[in-house]
Amino acid sequence: MTEFITNKVNPAVLPHLEIWGSDVAIYLFLGGLSGGLLVISAAMVLLQNGGIFNKNRPRENYSGMVQVASLLAPVLLGIGMLFLFLDLEFKLHVWRFYTNFNITSPMSWGSWLLILFFPFSALQALVVFKNYYQRAPKFQQLAAVMESQLDKIAFINVHVGLAIGVYTGILLSTFYARPLWSSPALGFLFLFSGLSSAAALLLLFAPREEKTFFSKMDMYLIALEGFAATLFILGGMTGIETAKEAMLLLLVGPYAPWFWVLFVLGGLIVPLLLETFEAIGKIKFTPLVPLLILVGGLSLRFIIVFAGQSVPTFS
Amino acid sequence: MSRKKNYAMVIDTRACVGCSACVYACKSENSVPEGFCRDWIEQKIQGSFPNLTMELRSNRCQHCEDAPCVTYCPTGSSHYAGDGTVQIDRDLCTGCKACLAACPYDARYIHPIGYADKCSFCQHRLKKGLQPACVTTCPTDALHLVDLNSNDGIFENLLEDRKTTQDIVHAGTGPKLFWLQ
Repeated sequence: MTEFITNKVNPAVLPHLEIWGSDVAIYLFLGGLSGGLLVISAAMVLLQNGGIFNKNRPRENYSGMVQVASLLAPVLLGIGMLFLFLDLEFKLHVWRFYTNFNITSPMSWGSWLLILFFPFSALQALVVFKNYYQRAPKFQQLAAVMESQLDKIAFINVHVGLAIGVYTGILLSTFYARPLWSSPALGFLFLFSGLSSAAALLLLFAPREEKTFFSKMDMYLIALEGFAATLFILGGMTGIETAKEAMLLLLVGPYAPWFWVLFVLGGLIVPLLLETFEAIGKIKFTPLVPLLILVGGLSLRFIIVFAGQSVPTFS
Repeated sequence: MSRKKNYAMVIDTRACVGCSACVYACKSENSVPEGFCRDWIEQKIQGSFPNLTMELRSNRCQHCEDAPCVTYCPTGSSHYAGDGTVQIDRDLCTGCKACLAACPYDARYIHPIGYADKCSFCQHRLKKGLQPACVTTCPTDALHLVDLNSNDGIFENLLEDRKTTQDIVHAGTGPKLFWLQ
């Protein structure tokens, strides 16, 4: 028998790590979601007629969904960053993220990526709403100038969006002291979860004739997310003792009901089945599907953030 | 000729009586707020009566050679001070808590003002040529600050004929706290 007594009192690390709460979980979700929205909207801009792959045809009008996604991406990220700011313990020093770049720190990469996200996503939003500036000729001129550079902007945006999506996962996975987080699959899991959440949000807003497009896109993305989730689970179960214990805590421990019901069943399997039936025309489109996916994506962030802190430190 | 320091600490678990004088010396010297600590005592009792063993030891930041807190600090606040210690620049700290998540030894806490804080080996005292407060206070001389780059033989003498352990070396951070068994 072993008895261990200590007079260590620090509340942030004892009895287990307790540093990040709902703020960070919501930020990770909104970050992934807006990254996904930017990737999808920028990719649609690049792939449409008149885009970089169809230069010989005149540029199409921007679809309502491209407009919604281009606008929501920076707005949702801004809200997410507000939550991130709320989590900082030394809020007055927030500008210190931008007096340094530490190449080995994902958080440093992330804070610079966030800065890169806003100007380019804002320029894209400016261009895709070009028909709304009749009363502001200066604005219209600027939008016209920027439209000539839209392919470059959209090209940057696809990559910035992907990078934001991956970074929200890498951020946690580099902390190898925390056995549940320290999995390289987490970057892909959060990326695909963010992309599928974005597709789901657009599916929710899409007019009837465009629903099939986003539903199919989401189908593929959910399949990839399920693949990443499987790798994440396998990585933990085949890992060292502490990694396996942490993964078991998630799979059969106190977080298991949330993980299996809200994320696996509600966020992956049920929507994938319903979307498949929708795609082959067996059932009508229902807002239930995108709502389930969004709830699943949000609960994934909550589960990983909270469960990752409740597992014992690497030893 | 001056040589770069590489401070480490050797802690004699047989000499330690678990009196917590190091903890209170640290709290007083570094104005550690109530409810937090930079160093602490660990008591491990193993076996079943009457075959019991007890190990007492003082524990704190390991001042790792490859410290994850420095690796993951986004602002450069956590840094190597050049004397083998890991220090925190409060002016740079945003309180993002990446270092708390990164530390396999859970050696850090968030100061109520907002910055991350931990044992500094009393760097302000080292600069004056003094020993850390815990080392000076220890009534049984269980704590020893040593310079691994020095050839004064103190480190080697302490380790001679003693079994030495280190905490979770396989974390790969190069910890610099040595416990004499």
